[in-house]
Amino acid sequence: MRRLYSSLVDGRGFDLCLIGIPLAFLIVLSGVPLIYNVVMSFQAVDMFSLGSFIRPWVGHENYRQLIAQPEFWPIMGHTATFLVASIAGQFLLGFALALFFWMNFPGASWLRGLFLVSWVMPGLVVGAVWNWLLSGDFGVFNFVLHQLHIISDNVFWRSDPAFSLWSVIIANIWLGASFNMILLSVGLSSIPDDLYEAAELDGAGALTRFWTITLPMMRSTIGALISLGLIFTLQQFDLFAAITAGGPNNSSNVAQYWAWDLSFKQYDFAKGAAISVIMIVVVMLASVYYVRSTRHEVRG
Amino acid sequence: MSETFRNRLLLVIALLLAAIYLFPLYWMYITALKTGSEMFATPPSFWPDDPQWSIFPFVFQLKGMGRFLWNSAVIASGSVALIAVLGTGAAYVLARYRNAWVDVGLFLVLMLQVLPASLMITPIFVLFTLTGILDFPRTAVILAIAAKSMPFFIVLVRATFMSVPMELEEAALVDGNSRVGAFWSIVLPLARNGILVSAILIFMQAFGEFVYSKSLIQEIELQPSSVGLNAFMGPNTNEWNRIMAFASIYVTPILATFVLLQRRIVSGLTSGALK
Repeated sequence: MRRLYSSLVDGRGFDLCLIGIPLAFLIVLSGVPLIYNVVMSFQAVDMFSLGSFIRPWVGHENYRQLIAQPEFWPIMGHTATFLVASIAGQFLLGFALALFFWMNFPGASWLRGLFLVSWVMPGLVVGAVWNWLLSGDFGVFNFVLHQLHIISDNVFWRSDPAFSLWSVIIANIWLGASFNMILLSVGLSSIPDDLYEAAELDGAGALTRFWTITLPMMRSTIGALISLGLIFTLQQFDLFAAITAGGPNNSSNVAQYWAWDLSFKQYDFAKGAAISVIMIVVVMLASVYYVRSTRHEVRG
Repeated sequence: MSETFRNRLLLVIALLLAAIYLFPLYWMYITALKTGSEMFATPPSFWPDDPQWSIFPFVFQLKGMGRFLWNSAVIASGSVALIAVLGTGAAYVLARYRNAWVDVGLFLVLMLQVLPASLMITPIFVLFTLTGILDFPRTAVILAIAAKSMPFFIVLVRATFMSVPMELEEAALVDGNSRVGAFWSIVLPLARNGILVSAILIFMQAFGEFVYSKSLIQEIELQPSSVGLNAFMGPNTNEWNRIMAFASIYVTPILATFVLLQRRIVSGLTSGALK
């Protein structure tokens, strides 16, 4: 007993205790649900069997039915569009802003930080504001586009199936671009100045310097950022709930919203679990890439 | 072109960019202050003719926002307390040692960080139903958020502990401190700022959390502001000034905190996520 106590206060037990309790907590509340999710996706789950551990085993029937649903492939397509467009938009806008603020001037770092409010706001609030900005008849977004002669008629962003997904993408780009900008700024400021001075002496123009110095030096930052973008974008749920709720007619539905909709709107927990399993595999693959691209950090 | 002229020009462009980027936020506040008819005017007015300041107390009363904000605060504080107590220790151990086990632990933590809440909620809901935790909905949400956000906290705080020189702790041990004593009186105070900034970030996230609260809390008296805002926005609503007033009341404390602590939050964030 004494030895146990002294180990806890002054030895290996101290470390084991500090790491063991949180790890146990995470395993119980993240690991167990993760595994249970896989189990559930092979079971028949309805409102009656929800409260019991033992349920009929149906094999891969849930997956077969899920894929057979007519909305499965369109929703997967929307998910891919949402991912690619959001990540590309966030990254390009963020990179452009980061390059601008990289030209040091008084107040640059403070103003740059201010952009991050779009990222710290609750997703529901961002969604509510963009829902109103993108309103068809009275939205100020349409008004601005109109004044710039980009559109001649009002676009019904949220209710037109051709645009509903894009209304969420626009809001998501706004939300995430600032985070991209901040991380890219860190990467930019870590490039040594003398590289540019040497290149300038050799007569390299601004564009050449960008392609031959900036981009290659930023490779690991960009890699980490793209995979982080993938992870964040796949987590995006609040904007869908606040702007389109997946509609109209699933035209803006994506996998992560559909999984929740199946479980909590249609009470089809087994299919909700099945789509979750599919998507979690995708996220895990992305995060392996993220962990690898920040490995120099992980190794210390 | 002189140096000062260049600086001024760049600053003006930067202010312009910030104004464009933050326009949605401005529009939220300005819409809240408009009257019902001014809100739907074409062309839209960019400055309210007759600012309706009374809308803020009105919506606060009408929607019972006191209760919503209280629930958000309870959920956020509970999650942060749980995360800070458990996560700090884990971050310390993961920062202090370098071996294969620590690599495995870090890998696990990073993997758990990426699980989307909307995908994890199905098994969490079923498990919480089975174990009866769902009878205490706010506790259930706190546990779920803690599990979701703790990995992020660990990654951020670990970066802080890495910057605390180990020699200081060793010196304390030589002086006769126990491990607990050295951790408590040397390492923790030195890492206090980083821990605080990370906790504030987690608090702001948890204050706006939606998926878990929406799915796990049925009773309206226990729901946080995010769920209240979502319920307020019906599919064909035209109460946009009231909705924007709700959103303004909800988000202003977060924005104020962020603007005040901006520099620290940004540096804390960047040290954890990349370097």
